[in-house]
Amino acid sequence: MTGKREILNVKGLSAGYGPMRVIHDLDFIVYSGERVGLVGLNGHGKSTLFYAIAGLTGWQRGSVCLNGVEVGRTRSQGPGRYTHLIVRQGLALIPQGDEIFHGLSVEDHLDSGAFTPRAWRERAERKKRILEIFPPLVKLMHVAVGRLSGGERRMVSIGRGLMAEASLFLVDEPSLGLAPKIGKGVMDALMSVDLGGSAMVIAEQNVALLEGRVHRIISMHVGKLKGEASAKFGFETTREL
Amino acid sequence: MDFGFILINALVLACIYGTLAIGISITWSSVGLINLSYGFIFAASGYGAWLCAQYISTFGAVVLMAGILTGALMGLLVCALAFIPIHDKPSFTVRGMIATLAINLIGTQTLMWYFGPRAKSLPEIFGSWKIHLGHIVLTADKIGNIVASIVVVTLVLQWMRSSRRGLEIRAMMMNPHAAAIVGIGVRSTGFYVMAITGGLAGLAAVLLSQTYYISPFGGLTPMIKGVSIALCGGLGSVRGAAIAAVLLGLNEAITSVALGGQYVLITQFAFIILILLVRPRGIAGILDKAREA
Amino acid sequence: MTNSWRNPLYLWDVKDAVEELPTIDYVSPQEVWDRTRSSDAVMLPVGRLRYYYKWSGHGAALWNRLRYWPTRRRVLNIRGEYNPKTLRSEKTIVDKRPIWWLLGLLALALAPLFVPADLQNTLLTAGATFGIYAAINLCWMLIIGTAGIYSLATYAVVGVSAFGTAYLSIQYGIPWYGLPFIGAMIGLLSGLIIAIPATRLDGFYYALLTLGLNELCRVYAQQSRLFGSSTGGLYGADSYIPQSWDQHSQSLLAYYACFVLMIMALCLYRLINGRRIGRILRMAPEKREAFAEATGVDYRRARIFVFVISSIGLGFIGGFYTAHFRGVAFSIFSFDTVLLGLAMLVIGGLGRAEGAVVGTAIVILLDKILISMGPVRLLLIGVIMLGVVLFLREGLFGVKAQFRAWRDKKKSERRSTRAVKGGEMLPEEVTETKNKDLSYWRRYDKMQRDYLRTLISSELIEEHQRSPLGQHSEPLERLLLYFRRAPMADKYAIAVVEPFKAYRIVALSGHRGVAPRVVEDRIYGSQNEAYHGVFLRRVQDLLES
Repeated sequence: MTGKREILNVKGLSAGYGPMRVIHDLDFIVYSGERVGLVGLNGHGKSTLFYAIAGLTGWQRGSVCLNGVEVGRTRSQGPGRYTHLIVRQGLALIPQGDEIFHGLSVEDHLDSGAFTPRAWRERAERKKRILEIFPPLVKLMHVAVGRLSGGERRMVSIGRGLMAEASLFLVDEPSLGLAPKIGKGVMDALMSVDLGGSAMVIAEQNVALLEGRVHRIISMHVGKLKGEASAKFGFETTREL
Repeated sequence: MDFGFILINALVLACIYGTLAIGISITWSSVGLINLSYGFIFAASGYGAWLCAQYISTFGAVVLMAGILTGALMGLLVCALAFIPIHDKPSFTVRGMIATLAINLIGTQTLMWYFGPRAKSLPEIFGSWKIHLGHIVLTADKIGNIVASIVVVTLVLQWMRSSRRGLEIRAMMMNPHAAAIVGIGVRSTGFYVMAITGGLAGLAAVLLSQTYYISPFGGLTPMIKGVSIALCGGLGSVRGAAIAAVLLGLNEAITSVALGGQYVLITQFAFIILILLVRPRGIAGILDKAREA
Repeated sequence: MTNSWRNPLYLWDVKDAVEELPTIDYVSPQEVWDRTRSSDAVMLPVGRLRYYYKWSGHGAALWNRLRYWPTRRRVLNIRGEYNPKTLRSEKTIVDKRPIWWLLGLLALALAPLFVPADLQNTLLTAGATFGIYAAINLCWMLIIGTAGIYSLATYAVVGVSAFGTAYLSIQYGIPWYGLPFIGAMIGLLSGLIIAIPATRLDGFYYALLTLGLNELCRVYAQQSRLFGSSTGGLYGADSYIPQSWDQHSQSLLAYYACFVLMIMALCLYRLINGRRIGRILRMAPEKREAFAEATGVDYRRARIFVFVISSIGLGFIGGFYTAHFRGVAFSIFSFDTVLLGLAMLVIGGLGRAEGAVVGTAIVILLDKILISMGPVRLLLIGVIMLGVVLFLREGLFGVKAQFRAWRDKKKSERRSTRAVKGGEMLPEEVTETKNKDLSYWRRYDKMQRDYLRTLISSELIEEHQRSPLGQHSEPLERLLLYFRRAPMADKYAIAVVEPFKAYRIVALSGHRGVAPRVVEDRIYGSQNEAYHGVFLRRVQDLLES
């Protein structure tokens, strides 16, 4: 990969649900090959930002460019109406909690992530790669997902996201609700993914899990991003003791 | 009346009604719609096959294909009218059911208006040969019915199990929201599902027309039978529907031998109610977490 | 702005002081202030006032309120209050539906007087049919709307009772006044039988099952010789309409009898839906049964109770049906009858009595008036039903509420997309905070920080490095003023490690008695260096916030 390419370019994005406005005029750029950490407390709009990129919010306004294609929409046309088209543009959203298909086996589940024709043809290879990242899944390939434990489910969910032939991975709180050790394991797995030309944004409340392992950390506060300007004057971002 | 003959008859009917029931089951579990316009789709595809036999060709396979295609087309129509506009609106299930009922009313009345109340009959699509198996005579239409319905249903199920679209449909059965995140279009999948199930109804219509006539309201009884089989097997479960079809076919055969033809429906409903009282979600029972009804 | 700085010290003849110095570029805060203050968003009024006519007098006067037996209810829900401006007492009718009901029923009662003579027969017959069907639909509405049981076997119950009474009347000569009561008994029995599966099955399973039961009744009745499979129905029962009367009086009597039947059904609806059992069932709508159960509501029993009571009512209507038509045809079991009945309910709106009655009126009118058009009229009804289902959430009577909900949704969405303010506090934080000044202060602070951020440049940092203390250019002065005003908690300070040799930066705790914490390891050689270190830190914090 030569030079940085803009994978995601969000300009003036506002989004919300009904009368509530969660995201306020947000600008946000993700370059290829980058791992970005998005840090913020509960309710400050991290998930909503991801949902807005995927077109799942109640209403939104502003421009969202994914690989140079405008996928944002201005009017509210019901959440999720165009999500599948946005996903086909190269977005892999790994949502918070368990958005899984309970009755499908792990293998089917991973297959369902490989939606585009090319990914579908290569799904055997892709699956092998996922299994290298998440070795515990090998034994569970034919078990229905509904029977797995929380950590295993999260692995399946993330694995499903990684199966996609996506240029942007949005991972929403991968360690939420998991035991610290398992959460760390999941995070390690995410870090070990070879991104190539794509990019990954990880939303997380626990900064310690991300520290020093992502290219930059952006914090989110009340629907706005903080802490991107300091690079301009050459301050070294030393953290306090 | 000899038992073997009735058993074969029951098996034939079980195959046809089972095809319908599987269509209803798939529709319910994947797009969440109880399609009560099946009677209309059934009658319309019968008329489609009849038109084809009248004007294009009376060759069996062509007529069968015409029926299936008409059914699929009607399925698309129902999807466009009853699924697309309201699938993301509140209380979709009730409204969807009522909408399909309304489509049924409109459709059958249109058929009645256009074709008149006189019944039509299709040519014999499987020829008129027979096989003697011991002292049981198997006519061509019976063997054809059984083979055609089993083959088509198996093909459809196999396709659903192995292909990308099939995975899409199954994923949508489980969790529509997650399906959207994975990149599955709910609307386009709805069209696929309705076309396939409509095609199944068309197949059943042509097959059944070997025994009965085609009339505007002729779809009602098959629909009710299909619905009750699907209900008995557990809405959404293909295996359950197959088992229920065989059980109810047997019940029909035994009742008509032991008690007489007019008691068939009564024993059938007693049987269904009994099963539903024991297992409120049918024989197979829907998978626990598949879709909260 | 000006790029020069007037040195105030010049006037005092300070050594080396120049009158004017070139200074770094600086933007006026006025511009930011104006931009923040102004808003091109149209601020439309929030909320909505509903207009009620105010009657004079005091509606809350306890002593002469009209209450009707046997309840303690009042006829109209009237709210009384004093007008805060005029101090006059006034009354507001909160719920005007009883008035509309009364007017509507009055119109129905007087309708035969105004019917044109040439249409008299058709309209009176249609009116009689309307009465019967409205009564059936009211009972059905109790089952679907109040009890929440999706039963499609309503017409089957009516049909069974009608066939039973017709058979008894023909065979044993039971007079017409006995038929409704025998019908009620039959209705009770069939209701109990149909209710058994309702205890276990939910929603759609039950709907499909009852659809099957309806079909079962049709096939059975059509095949059995007992119920006249050859004549298309069972006819010859005793009727309440004397044969000796002339045609007009007969239809008039039939009309009023059916009208009374409808009133009775309305009373039943009111009695069940408006009282305790209706309240209980309204607490347990579909999908929230578990919650209702947890609050101690035995919704299953209540549902079955309503179902059985309505079945008795339906049986009664079935008996009346036989007495009215002198018999009954198979068509009552047909699928189209169920569909038309459902169309009546759906068009009017599920769950309300006026919906059942008006929906019935619309469908019956279309059905009977356009009878010359043949099957096309059914097609028309189907199209109306489809349209209502697709576009209206609660039928015709829900249009107003649906429109309001839609408008409110659009309004609030548009308002929140338009809003240019906010984003300093979470919405729930704002409502939680007692001191509302705080949210305004945050907004002001944010505006100020946004402005100050534009001032920072390398020249400014250089200037501060040159002389941390003393007179500064305007942008730097503004910046330093802002920094000095920061609250004590976490404010940076300089700790002397060794006088004139070593200084380090600490952050104050903001609490008396709690020691400041060390911020970094770096030791500054002079005081000015330390000042500049603190300045850099603050600038960095400002840029990052």
